Amino acid sequence: MEGIITIISQVVFWGLYAGCIYILLATGLNLIFGVMKIVNFAHGEFLMLGTYITFSFFVLSGFNPYVLLCASLPILVVVGIITERLCFRPILGTGKLNEIFVSLGIIYVFQNVVAMLWTDEWKTIQSPYKDITISWGSVQVPLDYFIIIGITICILIGLYLFLHRTSLGRAIRATSQNRKGAMLMGINVEQMDMLTFGIGAGLAGAAGTLWAVSGQVFNPYMGSIPAIKGFAIIIIGGLGSIAGAIVGGLIIGLAENFTSFTLGGAWKDAVSFIILIIVLIVKPTGLFGGKDE
Amino acid sequence: MINARDLPIKKILIGLVLFFALIFPILFGAQLYYLTVLILILIFIIYSSAWNFLTFSGQGSLGHAAFFGLGGYFCSLLVMKAGIPPLLTLPIGGLFTGVIGVLIGLTCVRLREWFLAMVTFGFAIIIQTLIVSQLAPITNGWDGFGVTKLVPSDFPNSLLIEYYLIFAISVITLLLFRYLLKSKIGLTLAAIRENELEAKASGINPIPFKLFSFGVSAFFAGVAGALEIFHFGYITPEIFGVDISFWPIIYTITGGLGTLAGPVIGTIVISLLWEGLNSFGLTYMRFVIIGILLILTIIFLPGGLVSIGGKLSKYWNKSPDSDKK
Amino acid sequence: MRNEFKSILFLTALIIVAVIISGCTSQQSPQGTTQTVNNTIKIGVIASMSGPASTTGKDIWQSAQLAADEINSQGGVYLKDIGKKALIQLVLGDDESTREGGQKAVSKLITQDKVDLLVGGFSSAVVSAHQAIVADNKIPYIIAGASSTQVSKRKDIDNTYLFYHRPNTDNSAEASLLFLNDTVRPAINSKFGFPDSRPLRVAVVYQDSPFGKGQLDAVNNLTKKLNLPIVVVANASFKMGESDFRTTLTSVKSQNPDVIYAVTFLNELIPLTQQAIRDVGLKTLILSIENNDDPDYYKGVGQVADYSVMESRFSPYAIPNTSTKERTTKFLSDFDTKYQGFAGMMGAATYESVYIAKNAIENAGSTDKVKVKDALSSGSVDQLLETMKDGKIIFSPDTHESKFDLFVSQMRMDNKTNEIRPHIVWPVSLQETSFVLPDWYAPGTT
Repeated sequence: MEGIITIISQVVFWGLYAGCIYILLATGLNLIFGVMKIVNFAHGEFLMLGTYITFSFFVLSGFNPYVLLCASLPILVVVGIITERLCFRPILGTGKLNEIFVSLGIIYVFQNVVAMLWTDEWKTIQSPYKDITISWGSVQVPLDYFIIIGITICILIGLYLFLHRTSLGRAIRATSQNRKGAMLMGINVEQMDMLTFGIGAGLAGAAGTLWAVSGQVFNPYMGSIPAIKGFAIIIIGGLGSIAGAIVGGLIIGLAENFTSFTLGGAWKDAVSFIILIIVLIVKPTGLFGGKDE
Repeated sequence: MINARDLPIKKILIGLVLFFALIFPILFGAQLYYLTVLILILIFIIYSSAWNFLTFSGQGSLGHAAFFGLGGYFCSLLVMKAGIPPLLTLPIGGLFTGVIGVLIGLTCVRLREWFLAMVTFGFAIIIQTLIVSQLAPITNGWDGFGVTKLVPSDFPNSLLIEYYLIFAISVITLLLFRYLLKSKIGLTLAAIRENELEAKASGINPIPFKLFSFGVSAFFAGVAGALEIFHFGYITPEIFGVDISFWPIIYTITGGLGTLAGPVIGTIVISLLWEGLNSFGLTYMRFVIIGILLILTIIFLPGGLVSIGGKLSKYWNKSPDSDKK
Repeated sequence: MRNEFKSILFLTALIIVAVIISGCTSQQSPQGTTQTVNNTIKIGVIASMSGPASTTGKDIWQSAQLAADEINSQGGVYLKDIGKKALIQLVLGDDESTREGGQKAVSKLITQDKVDLLVGGFSSAVVSAHQAIVADNKIPYIIAGASSTQVSKRKDIDNTYLFYHRPNTDNSAEASLLFLNDTVRPAINSKFGFPDSRPLRVAVVYQDSPFGKGQLDAVNNLTKKLNLPIVVVANASFKMGESDFRTTLTSVKSQNPDVIYAVTFLNELIPLTQQAIRDVGLKTLILSIENNDDPDYYKGVGQVADYSVMESRFSPYAIPNTSTKERTTKFLSDFDTKYQGFAGMMGAATYESVYIAKNAIENAGSTDKVKVKDALSSGSVDQLLETMKDGKIIFSPDTHESKFDLFVSQMRMDNKTNEIRPHIVWPVSLQETSFVLPDWYAPGTT
């Protein structure tokens, strides 16, 4: 019996950790959706870019990879802003399908530019704390995962404060609630679009750093699946709802880990979609979703 | 004003294209490489047109590989387990995928575009997982199995016969789509696509029509998948790959979304461009070019390549007018 | 209507331009010319230059070039029927890591480039989609990959022109099992005072792919067939390219295995090893297999892989001390000089394939495909880089598979480089050091 509890508590912990990456991705997607009402299927490419930026700076400077959050996050904000300006702004309001299709083009460009720059071999970096473990209940867990969970919480709190306590954040929220109204109040909504897209990309970049630090390998094609799952999460959690994204992220992270524990690893990707489809059949707007959209 | 003179020209041109496709092998020799490229182009024309048909009802799919692969698997199993000749399995396999398409459509019709894209993408992954795990005793899992070819290779000129067969199938498919779009169904679909609320207001129940386009789209995607496998002679679960889901989107959009000619033109131009870039030794760059092309098309040429002619002629017609003034 | 007319005209022009672009480079060999006996032998190399398998693809292409350059610098291949030496010309066919790409690449090599012979091929799925074309066109094809036995044992195509220079999944699983049975099992039993009859508890963690499934099936079948005292206590699959094995390993741990048999690619082995030892806290032995041994692994995996074992046939750091040692060392250093890097297992196999082709063509005395095919099926070549069974590369008469002498090496921390390094521990004929169980090792309970 005690053995089973140990196993379950361990699996819960891995789920929690996996959830962190998804939550960061999903929060970004959600923010962008809230403001621009578009879905960026290429969001995973920002995650991938984040891992590569972390990798390059780590190899060049040898800094503590956690410090490199200060590199990946701002760089991705800039990349996000450029992407928004060049690819999404021109097609805003021209039809929902176009957004999906533009994302496909962006996926191809990002993946292969990265492959040209860094080759498409699998890369990995090591955390400086990789040998330190901490006991969590009855199991030993590496310190890194606590740091990762901690950083995720800090980022989310920071984001909350930014959105609620700064005028810029309030402007973003206003645009998200009522675009026309915001425009009438003198908010430059196009700037808000760029900013939001940048923040979303930055969160994905931070997720990329965490991905790399936790010792997971990465290559130019690794971004798509986590991003699609991130998207599944916001659908489960309800579009536009940050709390929903966090719950959804945890649900997916845990479900995946329990599925590979019970049904086998082959079902790991499929299970998030099964949950997604069930949720959509039961409630087409998502668990926490509002009436519209 | 000059309709009477121009209408036959359009028909003549289409006829010329068909004629060219027919005599191509005779002109350039029935070479393995040309035929392989042409056959794959034809298969993807059917597939892209099938994908495109779904967008006529305002729906879009990111996981059409699910139907492409299901068609491939179902037909291959019919051939290998039940001994039915490949050509005869095509309608049966198409029907099967069509039914699955309607079933998947049932979960999708109420959904918004993004949800729909996600759900279809998810179905491709779920079906692939089923094929390699629970269904592995029948499908042989990841190993796949050998399948009888459309035309047995010991037949003289087998590849040439295969080419003409697939050519005929794709012409029939396109004619069918043309017929469907000109019919009342096509008009209803257009009404739903343009404004679902208004369509509802005028007494149209959009759901059966949306399901219908899902079914038809899945039917032909399944046929295309089966044809590809009968061409390869071997089936593996890679048929459900993400790239298989994405290609018809790229082809159709560059060609022209929501037009009959779009997927045809797009498939031909992009496939040949792809082969051309390959012979210049570009590897990753090819994908970058295709990606940029896709983005540029969506932003600057939403009507795709088929709309270029119209745009240019508008420009030409305008400039002499302004000169007169 | 006018617009339509113009747009159709424009599109026709566009298609013609596209045809010309795609045709211009492939039209180099004019139509209808009979193949004149000139002084080049064309060998097509099927490699993935883009897509997920492109790292291996580059390795294949570079090693093939190295072999061709070596042969050409010695004057080329002697052709008896024209009485002089001919140079080898390699033609690259990029299969894009997809089935469609492979078909196009292969058919282009056959009809446009008119190659005399094909080498390369990696992914089983990609190879299975273009095998039939090669068989139909009767071009000798030395396949260096496609380890799935399904691919080499196909009954529905003419196999006479297809040759497989790689161990299939049965061969490699057999070597691993024999190693486990005659080295690991006694070591555990004697260290912990178990009776000799105690069966070894093996957990198979495998990639959900032809490679992984093939290994699992082979392990299950062979333990029965060879009647080995080995029980498979757990088997867990993961998706290709997976990097989070924590839950899988947690479930494996609950089955108390003595050994984890990890059927992975190298990129998966790194996180698997780290997560097994560090995160999940498994105190067990990890045996990995045939994973295209690469220096990046030694750099990436770190100290956690100390004492782990790896079944291999070609490694950058463990070179079996046989007649091939000198040649292998030279090959690795030549490769490094030319391309600044290490050649991998697929590269070595392709390098050998080019030499096998040379040898067959010389024996046949011409590039006539029937003669070359016969020379390939009847001939034998001395082992070049990888150790072969009986020291010869011979294709078996039924399925045309060459037989390898596989070896197992154990990783030990190397203080000079601060990385782990492999040392061959099995079979006895190639052994450098003997296998040791680490102090922290804990056997699975029975």
